[in-house]
Amino acid sequence: MANASLSARDRPYSGLMRSATAPIELSSPRSARSHLAPEDAFTSQLSPRRDHGAIVHDSGNELRPRTTRSKLESRSRSRRRKRSWKKLLWVKQSYPDNYTDQATFLENLQRNPRLQPYEFWPLVGDISVILQQVCSVTIFVVCFVGIFQERVSPVSIVGWGSFATFVGWLIWDSWVDSKDEDEVLQRRRSNRNRAAREQPGRRDRPQSSVVSLPPSATASVTNLAAAERAYPQIAIHHSHSTSAISLQSGKSQASDVARPPNDPSDEPKYRPLSSTLSGRPAMRLDTIKSAVLIYSTLLGLSPILKSLTRSTSSDSIWAMSFWLLAINIFFYDYSGGVGVKFPASLSTNAALMASTVLASRLPSTGQVFSLTLFSIEVFGLFPVFRRYARHQSWRYHVTLSILLVIGAGAGVGMVLGGEKGNLSPLKSGLLGILVAILIAIVAIGGCSWWLISLQKYKNAINGPWDQARPIIISRRLWDDD
Amino acid sequence: MSRRTYNIAMVCDFFYPQPGGVESHIYQLATKLIDRGHKVIVITHAYEDRKGIRYLTNGVKVFHVPFAIIYRSSTFPTVFSFFPLFRNIMIRERIEIVHGHATMSTLCQEAILHGRTMGLRTVFTDHSLVGFTDAGSIFTNKLLKFTLSDVDHVICVSHTGKENTVLRAALDPLMVSVIPNALVSDDFKPLPRPEPSSLPFAQHPLPAHPLGPNDTLTIVVVSRLFYNKGTDLLTAAIPRILENHPNTRFIIAGSGPKAIDLQQMIEQNVLQDKVEMLGPVRHEKVRDIMVKGHIYLHPSLTEAFGTVIVEAASCGLYVVCTAVGGIPEVLPSHMTVFAKPEENDLVAATGRAIAALRANKVRTERFHEQVKAMYSWTNVAKRTERVYRGISGDISEEEFYGADDASHWSVTRGRNFALIDRLKRYYGCGVWAGKLFCLCVVIDYLIFVFCEWWWPGDQIDIARDWPRKPPASDDD
Repeated sequence: MANASLSARDRPYSGLMRSATAPIELSSPRSARSHLAPEDAFTSQLSPRRDHGAIVHDSGNELRPRTTRSKLESRSRSRRRKRSWKKLLWVKQSYPDNYTDQATFLENLQRNPRLQPYEFWPLVGDISVILQQVCSVTIFVVCFVGIFQERVSPVSIVGWGSFATFVGWLIWDSWVDSKDEDEVLQRRRSNRNRAAREQPGRRDRPQSSVVSLPPSATASVTNLAAAERAYPQIAIHHSHSTSAISLQSGKSQASDVARPPNDPSDEPKYRPLSSTLSGRPAMRLDTIKSAVLIYSTLLGLSPILKSLTRSTSSDSIWAMSFWLLAINIFFYDYSGGVGVKFPASLSTNAALMASTVLASRLPSTGQVFSLTLFSIEVFGLFPVFRRYARHQSWRYHVTLSILLVIGAGAGVGMVLGGEKGNLSPLKSGLLGILVAILIAIVAIGGCSWWLISLQKYKNAINGPWDQARPIIISRRLWDDD
Repeated sequence: MSRRTYNIAMVCDFFYPQPGGVESHIYQLATKLIDRGHKVIVITHAYEDRKGIRYLTNGVKVFHVPFAIIYRSSTFPTVFSFFPLFRNIMIRERIEIVHGHATMSTLCQEAILHGRTMGLRTVFTDHSLVGFTDAGSIFTNKLLKFTLSDVDHVICVSHTGKENTVLRAALDPLMVSVIPNALVSDDFKPLPRPEPSSLPFAQHPLPAHPLGPNDTLTIVVVSRLFYNKGTDLLTAAIPRILENHPNTRFIIAGSGPKAIDLQQMIEQNVLQDKVEMLGPVRHEKVRDIMVKGHIYLHPSLTEAFGTVIVEAASCGLYVVCTAVGGIPEVLPSHMTVFAKPEENDLVAATGRAIAALRANKVRTERFHEQVKAMYSWTNVAKRTERVYRGISGDISEEEFYGADDASHWSVTRGRNFALIDRLKRYYGCGVWAGKLFCLCVVIDYLIFVFCEWWWPGDQIDIARDWPRKPPASDDD
């Protein structure tokens, strides 16, 4: 019994005492272990630290606390102190003010309490999101250079781009469809369970109130709920297109028209009643409508855009578009899930502005139109698709990343090889792909490995001096109202 | 045996006329040290109309030095520009000990650096807790480490503060003393209690004990209404407390950005007749507000010491507070109910406190005398004096630090002023920071040498001292 209490008093000392706070070169016994490894993470305060102390410090520190403690005891005995020291301020203690109680000093200290060690492959997957964005920007720049040097026909670029966009839209549409059906099925099942337990008619979101109709009505409800679910996504499309238009024209006339007549964000509750077409087809029709609108608006705006920056020198345009694209890459919403309504508007706007100023360098209206439309596809719609692809399946994400790297590498290779003129486009393209894949692997693998290896330097210190995080329950109730 | 007395310079950016906890700490400590026969001057920066030299009560001489203020009344950190003026004051007033206050005060940090360069003993009092997580605190901690790499002693206001400072500046724990704040208990007296025989019917609404089951119980909150003072918790808890306990009301004094949330809560729950918001109050008026209540509620999220709960207890209020920072050390458990910084727990703790008061289990009328015995500035001054004696070598090193075998710490205890030893201490601060700090110290030393040559110390006039009091007896 006495033994146990003694070791409990010793332990905090062995974990973290003065030696831990000493300057590194002075604390010889522990200097070999001044860094934490990720596996040192622990959540509760005392008992895990005991283990960790026992496991890690067994070699050097087992003897030290005991000797210090015996000295401490002899010291206090020699001064004939009767009462033990208490960590209180209001008690008049028979100890000097700078007395440091070895048993309790820093006992509430926690190191890396909420550490989540990274794993290599998930980290690679997360980093490749950045790679995808960098590659799409590169592809866009390559396309611009191609158009600018009149090596590629702008019509072919925009044609292939639009075709890819259309295919992408079809795929995305089917994903959303299948996901919604899954969700509706699931919810119906859980609703039945819930209905068995509690009264229906809880205050909830409109879509679930639609779904919580009696099972007999669910056949038609499926479509309605699908429309409800999918509408935020179409809102993304519209937001991108409208922002692009208003950015270029400065007039919001077009953006008013571009909005669907019954915008779901305005009146979601009446949507199922007022629409004559049920859900999904209506949404598709709206998408096509707005696509046609963007197309024609751009067509009308292109002559204006062409002469927009005629009085500005090309150097300024290059510098400006470089910075704008850099802003696009740095402020892109890499963490956003599929449900984000306006992902990183600064990033998207910067990219569209870059494309606008770049397009204004082009000599013909057709080129300007192509490049602007292409930029909307690359910066506005493609990220939505990529996000969905990543959400949908790991395989899609990897495939897309590889395709993008290959595309960007080939493009850069061809553009650079074409300038020198001593390599055939195919060869330089292949070389570019090779270099790009090499760079991508080194960058992604290297960065992941580096980040993981840096984790051992992580030393987050928490303790009673930290500002507490208040836990407030009822706030949500009156913040929402 | 006559004790040695010291000439002490308190340096801090925060001093009167600006109100605040650090300000009154410095003033009270200076006054009590003068009572003990020491000479104390205060160096702070110039406030709008307050420039030059002033004398305060008890002969506290205050130097308001002209420096630009950049942020929350801290001066612009120029590192060196203060040195010539500082040296002049030190020589003129024959200062032996430089005592800086508050982490956020650049004037204090510079003074400690210059003081060491001039060969003076330095003490630093830390009044705040700083975390280790965000960029701002990391920067502050690095600066603090710079200052405290070469300091003779550090004083913290609570044991939690000591742990925090030891970690932040990598100090020897024995170099850090814990000396709590105190209060002028005569300024925080409860209302005089009438003898039951002499006054059958009290005219004013006295916080009369025993409370009947239907008497109104008043909960007082005196706090700046900021996030870190836990105003969000308060806002969430008040409606629930009032719902659970019908015969209670709140008085809230203080202002701040979160006041509007409180106002909104009051209007949303229609509690205008139950919650009274007084707005900003002067420190002198705090006692008059406190004595209107029975319970003091302190929902702060971080607190190094929490003088205000001591003041509340001294006024005879039962204290409900969150157990954060140094607060659990401050008051004995029969005066307080602790809560976790959670809405539910705060409501529950307040409920317990109300129940205890209604059951008449708490002898709040004794609190004042008890607090008076616990905290007094005289005691603080006495304990601070021991620190001064320790660093000046008037107490032997064994007695001051204890016969400790950790010999490597004696390097950092800052006993000697040799430049090379000081540089060694600074060099250990970090790979880059260490070199930068060494550079600063070398430049500081060169400035010192230049000053010695340009304005020789023996040509600077010595100021006449305020007549000293005979040193107070030690057995206080």
